[in-house]
Amino acid sequence: MKHTVHTCAATSLLAAVLLAPAARSAPTPPAGGSLSARDSALHVLERFAYGPRAGDVDRVAQEGALDWLDAQLAARPHDDPALAALEKRYRVLALDSGDWARRFVDMRRAVPRGLGAPERDETRDLLGEVRGLAIARAVSAEAQLREVMASFWFDHFNVFLDKGADRFLLPSYVEDVIRPHALGRFEDLLLATARSPAMLFYLENVQSVAPGGRPAGPNANGAGRRTGINENYARELLELHTLGVDGGYTQHDVIDVARILTGWSMEPPALGGGFVFRPRVHDYGEKVVLGTRFPSGHGEDEGFRLLRMLARNPATVRHVCRKLCVRFVSDDPPDGCVDAAVAAWQKSDGDVREVLRAIARSPEFWSGAVVRAKLKTPLEFVVSALRAVGAEPDSAVRMADVVDRLGEPLYRQPSPAGYPERQEEWTNSGALLGRMNFAVALASGRMPGAEVDLDQVVAPTSDHEALVDAVNERVLGGAMTANTRRVIEEQLDDVADPARARALAIGLALGSPEFQRQ
Amino acid sequence: MRISRRAFLKAGGLAMVSFGLDPLFLARAAYAQGKAAGPARAGRVLVCLFQRGAVDGLSMIVPHGDPLYYKERPTIAIPQESVIDLDGHFGLHPALAPLKPLWDAGVLAPIQAIGSPDPTRSHFDAQDYMESGTPGVKSTADGWLNRYCQHQREHDETPFRAVSFGPELPRILSGSAPSLAIGDLRAFGLRAPNDAVRDRLTRAFEELYEVAPTGLLASSAQEGFEAVNVLKRVDPARYQPENGAAYPNGRFGQSLLQIAQLIKAQVGVEIAFADVSGWDTHVNQGSAQGQLAARLGEFAQALAAFARDLGDRMSDVVLVTCSEFGRTIAENGSAGTDHGRATAMMVLGGGVRGGRVLGRWPGLDPAVRFEGRDVAVTTDFRDLFAEVLSRHLGAGSLDAVFPGHAVQRERFVGAIRG
Repeated sequence: MKHTVHTCAATSLLAAVLLAPAARSAPTPPAGGSLSARDSALHVLERFAYGPRAGDVDRVAQEGALDWLDAQLAARPHDDPALAALEKRYRVLALDSGDWARRFVDMRRAVPRGLGAPERDETRDLLGEVRGLAIARAVSAEAQLREVMASFWFDHFNVFLDKGADRFLLPSYVEDVIRPHALGRFEDLLLATARSPAMLFYLENVQSVAPGGRPAGPNANGAGRRTGINENYARELLELHTLGVDGGYTQHDVIDVARILTGWSMEPPALGGGFVFRPRVHDYGEKVVLGTRFPSGHGEDEGFRLLRMLARNPATVRHVCRKLCVRFVSDDPPDGCVDAAVAAWQKSDGDVREVLRAIARSPEFWSGAVVRAKLKTPLEFVVSALRAVGAEPDSAVRMADVVDRLGEPLYRQPSPAGYPERQEEWTNSGALLGRMNFAVALASGRMPGAEVDLDQVVAPTSDHEALVDAVNERVLGGAMTANTRRVIEEQLDDVADPARARALAIGLALGSPEFQRQ
Repeated sequence: MRISRRAFLKAGGLAMVSFGLDPLFLARAAYAQGKAAGPARAGRVLVCLFQRGAVDGLSMIVPHGDPLYYKERPTIAIPQESVIDLDGHFGLHPALAPLKPLWDAGVLAPIQAIGSPDPTRSHFDAQDYMESGTPGVKSTADGWLNRYCQHQREHDETPFRAVSFGPELPRILSGSAPSLAIGDLRAFGLRAPNDAVRDRLTRAFEELYEVAPTGLLASSAQEGFEAVNVLKRVDPARYQPENGAAYPNGRFGQSLLQIAQLIKAQVGVEIAFADVSGWDTHVNQGSAQGQLAARLGEFAQALAAFARDLGDRMSDVVLVTCSEFGRTIAENGSAGTDHGRATAMMVLGGGVRGGRVLGRWPGLDPAVRFEGRDVAVTTDFRDLFAEVLSRHLGAGSLDAVFPGHAVQRERFVGAIRG
């Protein structure tokens, strides 16, 4: 394995600080030379949370950036009163996968498939609630890192809400597959997705049968079903979920992975739509994957063996670690942080918490070149803006619709690759104008679906200089450029009303280039 | 008023347009100049329309000369006396009557039996493949229209080069080349209670982004503001279609109206996209009248209005319709049709070799059907798109636009003169 050699004195100093246990409890977090305690706090809040709420930067600076991160990593799902209070308001969380399946069956019965058959309104509203919930959790949860990772893993193991049965399978996929494993072991998550009807339907493994077998599943359309294996899931499992596109597998491997997973299927929706292994369509022949022999005569068990093998393959470890570094460090992550993540993975048997801890402790994470250098995705932009102005989204879908319009429809990415992370994918001029519109509307309290409390951010004042100072500290974490300050002050010049001035200053700050980055 | 250096350099005459200098003349000159260097053809426009839901090609371009068609569809076939005959064997659905003059003028060509080499009957997958341009390959990140823009870069000087009408950028246009999703031209830009506030807000944000340290962010913001400035001149709210063109109400008709408007405004549109749904006719599809007829009627009216509105300008425009797959030859038990294979598409425009039904017709005989039930695909949709890109827009190599597909001119159906 390649290791980057660091000769910079600041970096070795950092390493020394990081490795010393005492440093963990020091009030000031370690930082790459130039970062102050507040800048370090802002940096971890931008990357390992959806940005700071007013006051968060000071709190985390006091606590220590890495101590804050450790607390985030240690947070248990049920120890989050803010989240618990929020979740009480969502009817959808009272529905289990069986309830959703019943709704799907009823819906099909009530409205035969036909010309633009409208969904029954209630189901549509519930699905809207499912999408709205994702935004609300990201805004309000104290355990921010769990929300960030839930979003990361959903993209990594993407399914598409609008594909047939996935309309009713997705809610339980989010609640029962992705979220419980957001900060768990990768292997467990991989197994859970491989056994989830949402994934098996989305990537058509439900139709994949040994030659001569009969396919099953709710998506077959009329006559003419084909038999034989369907390679879709097998291919994406290798290319996207585990090894990566350059992970050294061949078309033959894809075929044999598909053969091993024949029979991994789902019950019809009328029977609950749960996972089922169908021995009659499984291919019991011998297979070879990546040079490893899977002898003939095995059933469901060889799938487990395969998935465990893939989860531990070095190509998988590197692929997933690199992707994590792209998310948390830089669009083009330096080798050093990827190496650190890989080492932590191997030491911890794929414990995501240890991998994240290692990334945050790598010198690359703290390098001046990566701080505030990543563009926020539309989801990150909307959620961080809501947090910045102390907004509480209501339980409707409206904030999710905003994210959709900015180019990242939640749960509606058709490609199994999930949403991209690199900035060039998100710098669309129409969408950027949309961000500015959202910023201004939100700050002036004209954004339906979000209750804004600007008093939490800054008190109204007729002293414009003090106002801009406060907006810089509280909304932009002190990152305001001289140009932005000049433009905002110019705009405030003839605005006498303190409340209007405050809304305008915050709107411009949220729409500024500084706030588009993290 | 300040002119940002980049906007000035990049948009040339276009930037001046918004500052009150002689608009069209300068815009045209700058635009033509920009084009001279590249291989692509100046002023050419491709309009791509997606009929989402799998339109029944046999109801659009009716094989009324084939008795099997009537035998397989006892209640939903279009009666021979209602079909608008085209060539003795095929005819238009009566609801497509507004397109007949375009056929007569030789600028409309239907292509029969066209579709995807991938046999999926899933709407989702088939649409995905038709938009990614890579049938069978799910992980393709971008759409083929975007890849075309990536590889023919000389059009970059205008923010309107690739536009899609709808709230979100569709898969077909997503990717690293700049493209605009426009819900409604009249609402594009910053929202404010009145023009004065809007102008002021626009200027403020323009200044915020002029010196943004991230180049990509700054340049795409400035593209957005250039678009806003250009649109201000175009004044979409006051647009009146020409030549008595009457667009149908509804999103699709209005999208075509706004595409026509952008083309006329000469703001550098090269690719325009719009979609229209409601073609998934499993139940009570109807015949000469009914649900499908109503959808086809609106569709044809919109296309005909577009051609009429653009008038002579249609010489630079080619419009292509597409749909993810066709429907079963036989009607089902609900007087509808289920998911099939090949469908029919249409090309319309001045450069089209129209007045002929194109594509090799495989026939309806059970022996030549796909899996014994569907119209077989004889033209790969990529070959039609490739022909339009290369013969109409003058695209060079298409290997990167349709990866994994060796584009061969011998496979072109001959829809475009060239």
